[in-house]
Amino acid sequence: MFDKKVVRRRRVALAVFVALSIAILTAYFGESGGGFFHALQRGAQEAFAPIESGTSRALKPVRDFFGWAGDTIDAKHKNKDLEQEVERLRSQLAEAQTARRDAHELRGLVGLHQRAGFPQGTEPLTARVIARSPTVWYSSLKIDKGSSDGVRIDQPVISSGGLAGKVTSVTGGTAEVTLISDGSSAVSAQVMPEGASGVVRPEVGNPKDMLLDFVEGGRRVTEGTTVVTSGFKSTKVESLFPRGIPIGEVSKVDLDEVQLYQRVHIEPFADLKRIDIVQVLRRRSPAAQTAEVLGP
Amino acid sequence: MIFSPAALLRVGLLLIVAVVLQLSVFSRIGIVGGHADVVVLVVAAVSYYAGSVSGCATGFAAGFLLDLLSGATMGVSSLVLTAVGYGVGRFRELRNPSHGLLPIAAGAAATGGWVVAFAAVSFMLDVGASVSPLVFRDMLVTSLLGTLLALPVFVICRKVLRPSLAVDPLDVRRRRPPAEAGPLGLRGLEV
Repeated sequence: MFDKKVVRRRRVALAVFVALSIAILTAYFGESGGGFFHALQRGAQEAFAPIESGTSRALKPVRDFFGWAGDTIDAKHKNKDLEQEVERLRSQLAEAQTARRDAHELRGLVGLHQRAGFPQGTEPLTARVIARSPTVWYSSLKIDKGSSDGVRIDQPVISSGGLAGKVTSVTGGTAEVTLISDGSSAVSAQVMPEGASGVVRPEVGNPKDMLLDFVEGGRRVTEGTTVVTSGFKSTKVESLFPRGIPIGEVSKVDLDEVQLYQRVHIEPFADLKRIDIVQVLRRRSPAAQTAEVLGP
Repeated sequence: MIFSPAALLRVGLLLIVAVVLQLSVFSRIGIVGGHADVVVLVVAAVSYYAGSVSGCATGFAAGFLLDLLSGATMGVSSLVLTAVGYGVGRFRELRNPSHGLLPIAAGAAATGGWVVAFAAVSFMLDVGASVSPLVFRDMLVTSLLGTLLALPVFVICRKVLRPSLAVDPLDVRRRRPPAEAGPLGLRGLEV
């Protein structure tokens, strides 16, 4: 039963595959973005993209069914919260409409053409999500637009509500988007209207709660205020995200007098667990921007 | 398992279908924060029916394909799934299980092992961010869904792999030697 040959073969097989895995892991960490394994990943993703896209479309009814069942259960709990939110939003809407009219008049004065709350100098490209990372440790999506559509690495990605992430890898017809809920994500942000700045970091495993770190203890941050990308610029570095993309709403502020910085909890506007359509904000060429400002 | 091109093709097709379905469908259906993971169930099923050597090879291949197509750090899934495949394969070799419902336990153990080991490896690689306690809830839900899906996944895998299996645990059970016939008083005695 315990044939030495069989035992040896079994142990060798295990050792070989474990050693191979560790070697791949080490090589992957050691190489740059253009290395062999990264290139292999891009190639495989490009090759499988049509299959994934087809499967995703064909089995959408199945996903929708499960989504509907989950939504029905959640709806009861959310109803009460939403009623309160509607009241709050009604008063905000009145303020926003007044501000919007004022802003519209001001924009007309300076002759600028821009949509309210939308960063200037960007051209949105709508894309469909075709695959999603299977673990909570790596929050990424694959979309059906790639370099042939003008998508480039580090371009910001938004979904309904607000900032979703940024492009981290591109092939001809697909792109990988690392979400702001990924462990490696960090977005410079500002609380509006207080103006306090910080860095939005995720809490792995809970995409509905993010942290705004490095907010100075002296700056007052109140619950319910909006957090947007700060889009800082200096002589040496520039933020990847343009200024003014909404990220989320301050849900809780941890006040600790001992700490130099306060920890601000944010609930992101984008539903990062259920995204089907996103927009990649491509940088518009200066010539196109000038033409649009001048008009026909 | 009888190693042949047909057997490799069967396992390869199973893995490709499992990984594509995982990325395009199952990962996008959130159930109480978690989601079903069919890749680990397919690896567990192949290991259960084919043994530890085939199990760790299948685990490595499945992990490699999963990392390749999901864009995650390469090598992490291969390492964990190799261990899962070997573990389930050894369980089958040592216990020679033939009970029809044992795949549920094997699937539950494999999924639980996969989520725990993956979390451990991710921690060792330093995720670079704070980790929410909700991760444990997601791990639990994923394990429970794995338990529920184990039986159908094992049945499908057995049907696909059956022509290439050297020994099928269920057949072993069905082919138990019948009770010895003979005069009533001598039945079961060495005569």
